[in-house]
Order: sequence, then structure tokens, then C-alpha cells
Amino acid sequence: MLQITNLSASIDDKKILNGFNLKIKPGEIHAIMGPNGSGKSTLANVLTGKNGYQVEGQILYQEKNLLNLPIEERAQKGLFMAFQYPLEIAGVNTNNFLKTSLNTARKARGLKELDSLDFLNLIKTKTKNLKIDEKILNRQLNVGFSGGEKKKNEILQMTILEPKLAILDETDSGLDIDAMKIVSDGVNSLRSKDRSFLIITHYQRLLDYIKPDFVHVLVDGKIAKTGCSELALELEKVGYGNMESGSR
Amino acid sequence: MILNFDEFQKANQINGELDDIRIKNYNIFQKKGFPSKKEESWKYTDLKTLLYNNLNKLEILNNKKNSQYHDKWLLKNFQHNQIILANGEFISSTFSFEAKDKIKIKPLRTVLKDKKNFEKIKEFFDDQKNSLTSLNHALVNDGIFLEIEDDYLFNKPLVIYNFFNKTSESKIINNKCFISLGKNSKLNFLEYNKAEDGIKYFNNTIHHYSIQKNATLKKFSINNNLDNSYNYNLTNVKSYSNSIFENFLLSSGSSFLKNEIHCNLLGSYASCFINGLILLNNEQHHELQTNVNHRYEHCKSSQLIKSVLLDKSSGTYQGKIYVEKKAQKTDGYQLSKALVLSENSAFNSKPELEIYADEVKCSHGSTTANIDQNSIFYLMSRGLSKKQANKMLIEGFLSEAAETITDLNIKSLISKLLIKKINEIKFETNED
Repeated sequence: MLQITNLSASIDDKKILNGFNLKIKPGEIHAIMGPNGSGKSTLANVLTGKNGYQVEGQILYQEKNLLNLPIEERAQKGLFMAFQYPLEIAGVNTNNFLKTSLNTARKARGLKELDSLDFLNLIKTKTKNLKIDEKILNRQLNVGFSGGEKKKNEILQMTILEPKLAILDETDSGLDIDAMKIVSDGVNSLRSKDRSFLIITHYQRLLDYIKPDFVHVLVDGKIAKTGCSELALELEKVGYGNMESGSR
Repeated sequence: MILNFDEFQKANQINGELDDIRIKNYNIFQKKGFPSKKEESWKYTDLKTLLYNNLNKLEILNNKKNSQYHDKWLLKNFQHNQIILANGEFISSTFSFEAKDKIKIKPLRTVLKDKKNFEKIKEFFDDQKNSLTSLNHALVNDGIFLEIEDDYLFNKPLVIYNFFNKTSESKIINNKCFISLGKNSKLNFLEYNKAEDGIKYFNNTIHHYSIQKNATLKKFSINNNLDNSYNYNLTNVKSYSNSIFENFLLSSGSSFLKNEIHCNLLGSYASCFINGLILLNNEQHHELQTNVNHRYEHCKSSQLIKSVLLDKSSGTYQGKIYVEKKAQKTDGYQLSKALVLSENSAFNSKPELEIYADEVKCSHGSTTANIDQNSIFYLMSRGLSKKQANKMLIEGFLSEAAETITDLNIKSLISKLLIKKINEIKFETNED
């Protein structure tokens, strides 16, 4: 699904990722943990295609060179990032945005675009399954949403777009237990043998709800340690400071 | 630029008071010339240079040989009453949805020629706001005179069509429109301009509205058809107690357009709402100047202007709220937000408050920015192309003002026009 080889990324000549390697197979859930400033969000941004980074190295996504693809094509090909800080977009109706987004992806995949009625039925089911209040659909995109509502909206978008690879960038930050449950239910309901997840988090807490196959510890722009889900528990006890460096 | 005034004056002589008014005002205009940057309220719009560069051979429209318009220019699938003006001349009026005995409608030319009727509007020829006003007094020869009786509520909106055909080429057209609403009456009207392709003209109009106690006047000005016209529209409003005046403007079509609105709130609980969208590309220049005068206590005014500037276009908003000493408990609000999307486009904003009363609530604000690149990234990360993302953000940005339209049929009409216009624009924004 995703193979990252010797990736480095800098912003304004400051190196953030340095010799980063990662391989994600279809169906796997990988968690990346790490202290502030270790490069977690940079990794998510580089994968999604955000401008402003000088990037070297190779990223293969579904056997294709990801770095050559424009942002929207990555999304249309099934790459999705749940933002750490979802943006408030004034005047854009949430429902229209979701419909446009889904239909662009469907069109790119050669599927028929959904009409308003089909879309309405789809979104009603999705909001109900995720226990998200339908009212947010008629509001402006993320405008005036609480932190939790914004994150839930990201998960709703994810379940509608049904990505092949979903990156969750600190989606758990600032969530209460109920919202955390909604987020993890969203991920778990999408879990399948041909869909992969990359979950970026500070805390072990989320991993109680979403069981990862691998946990990686990111320190100074590269993976310092890789293990199974128990590694997260260990980290919680000893902290990042005591992490031995050395790569996978 | 030499206007053929003598010829016009001879042809329009009526041996009445108007003859002298014309000569007097033409002399005032000649002394001042077209407005230039030297005047405070024209500091963002050098009309003199603009006309010199673009309409150097301007002439007064005199012989009305051709007043044809195309039926296809009329709005379809939209039930409405209508008044049609072609090249400024009153052609026809139809009030199919209304009680005709409640409405008095006359071509202004008949009012100008009739001594008794002219008395009613004579005072309006004293206004010397600027040289264009004087020029309009000198050269007006038609327009609209409309009176609505007390307690009459219109069933359907009125559309005032302003059509221009080849006869208007290189002409200056001057007309006036008088609308008065009796107590407790209500009228929604839409002003719609359309010109034959490529015609270049200068349209100088003055509107006067009088809104009596408890009456409501809602005006929707649509200027969205790309054309090569130059327009100055001056609107003077007198709002009496408990009345409502709403004006929504879609300012997007012509090469040059300046809307200048003076609203006088003259009785308690009168309110005035001016909201608008300025969406420009190419080398268009549009300006909105408002002057809301709170002259009585407990009145309310609100203005929201959203602008998007592309290519080499420029826009200006000069908004003033004036509160007289006796206008206590005034509630005044004004906000202008602009997106300047190209390095060669510009937006000028001059919000002003002048307050002499001590118990008022007034606020104003103005922002000018580029489109937020993080928002573009967010939308693109959901599969939208850069073009789609730009359009969605611009549409969203402008929709805040469009949401203020309180007539649902007109709102849907304007929204459609707006989306069409946004789709037609080629987005060459200044990022990357």
C-alpha cells in the first residue's frame, strides 16, 4: 500500500524528517507516536501533498510515485488525512462540500456521481452509524463547531470517502471519552483487508480503542523503535525521553 | 469633450420653468466638469480621466429613433410586473398582478412637460451634490414617476428593465426615477440592466424614494451582464417612521459603475439595510458609496459588503454613518470584507462614523485579504481541484451577503446569476 524510503523533508532549510522509512501493507493499522516536534504532522502533510516542504526520498503509494501526484489526485486515489486542526470554511455548506468531494472521487474512479437524493440517503446512514447529529450537515463547514464536532466531522468525511489509506493526525487530541469512542468506531467500522491506517498520536489512550498492528516511535525525524501494541503501553510508562534510538 | 447642449436645449424647449433650470444647471456642470480625484467622494475614481480615455466622443442622446429591445432579455420563469426603459426612455409598464387603481405610473417626460405635475418634483432639481447631479438636472428628459397608495401591498415584485441598444452608442443618458410609497404599503422591485453587445455609453441616473410611515421598500439592483457601459446611479431615500428600506446590490457587470446611496432616516424606528456583492474581473472598476443619515432617535441601519477582485479590477467602498445629535438610541452597523485575488487588483475601503449623539450603538469594520491557502489545501485534500476549491471558497465568501436577501424568489434568481458569473470567471490567482 505505502512504502516510504529514506524520506527527508525540510521547511525553510530546517530538516524535520530525516531518513524516514516505513512500509504499510493493505489491511494494516500502524500507529506513530512521538514527542512534540518529532515530525509527526510533517509526515502527514508530506503524504497529503501540502506545499512548502522540500522533500527528498521516495514514497510509493499503490506502486506509484506519490510525490509526483497533485494533492487532489492523491485524495481521488484514496488517500485521506483527518486534520489535526480542521479548518473553518465560512459560507461553504457542509452537505454540499461532502457531496462535491465524494462525487469528484467517484468521477475519478469512473463511478457514477450520486444525485442529491442518493447522497442524502448515504449521509443519513453514515451520520446515524457514527451517532453524529445530522444538523451539522446544514451548517457552514466547521464554522463554530466545537473541537470535538470538528474531529467527528473529519471521521464522517472519512467514512463517506472510504479511503484506501487513512491518516489520522492527532485526531484524538482534545477529545472526551464519548467523542473518542465515535472516532474509534469510525475507524474500526472501516477496517478491512484492503484498507490501511496510519494513526498519529501523542497518547496511548486512543490505542485502547483502535488496536494497531505496529507501533512506531518517531524521534528527531526518524523511527527510533518499532513494536507491537504493547510498545505504546511501555511508552506511557517510561516517556519518550528514555527511548533508545536505533531504527527498525 | 464638448456636449451638444444647445441642440438638445432647442429640441426640448417647453417654454416653462424647466428650460431655465436646464440652462442654469448646464452652466454649473460646465464650470465644474466631470468629477475627478480632487473631490473627496471621488478620490478613488477619476471619472474625468476614465471618460476621456474611453468615451471621448460622448454626445447627448437626443433623437429617439430606436427604442427596440429583445424579448429574450426579459426574465423568464419569474412572475413579475414590469416597467421597460430603453436607452433611458419610458417604453411601457405592465402591472398584471396588481390592483391598478392603487398605482399611479407615468413616464417622467409627461411630468416634466406638465406645469402642475412638475411642481411636485421641482424641489429635487435644487440638489447640487456633484457636477453629475447638475448635468442630470440639465439633460433629463424621461424616466419613471411611480406612486403607490396607502395600505397597498404588491402581490409580485416589479422589475424595472433598463435596456440599451445601438442608439446608445457613445451617448450620455440622463434620467430620473421617482417612487413614493404611501403609509403601510409595500413594494419589492428589481432593477435589471442589459445592453446590446459592445455598446459603450454613459448612464447617469438619479432615483428618489419616499417611504412613508410603516411602508416597506425593497430594492434589488442587478448589474451582472458584462458590458462596456459607464454608470453613475445616485439614490436618495427619505424614510419615515417605522418604515423599512432594503437595498441589495449585485455589482458585477459594467466596465464602470458607481452606486451612491443617501438614506435619510427621518422618523423613529425607521430602518435601512444596504448589502451588496462586488465581483469584478478584467479591468472593471466599481464603487459603492453610502451615506446613512440617522436624523431621528431609535433608528437602525446595517450594511454588509463583500467584494472579490480579480485580474486588473478595482473596487471601492466608501460607507458613512452619520448620527445627528437628536438621534439617540441609534443602532448602526457596517462591515466590508474583500478578497483581492490578483497582484494587479485593488480594493479601497473607507468606513466612516460621524456621531453627535451620546447614546448610540455603532460599529464598523473592514478587512481585505487574499484567499486562505490552508483552506485551499483542506479542500484539495478532499479531492477538489484548485479551481473547484477556489470557486467554492469564493462562492462561500460571497454567500454571506447573498444570504441577506429577504425575498426568496429574488434570492434564488440572484444566487443563480452569481453562480453563473463565478463559473464564467477564469481563476488566475496569484499563488504559485
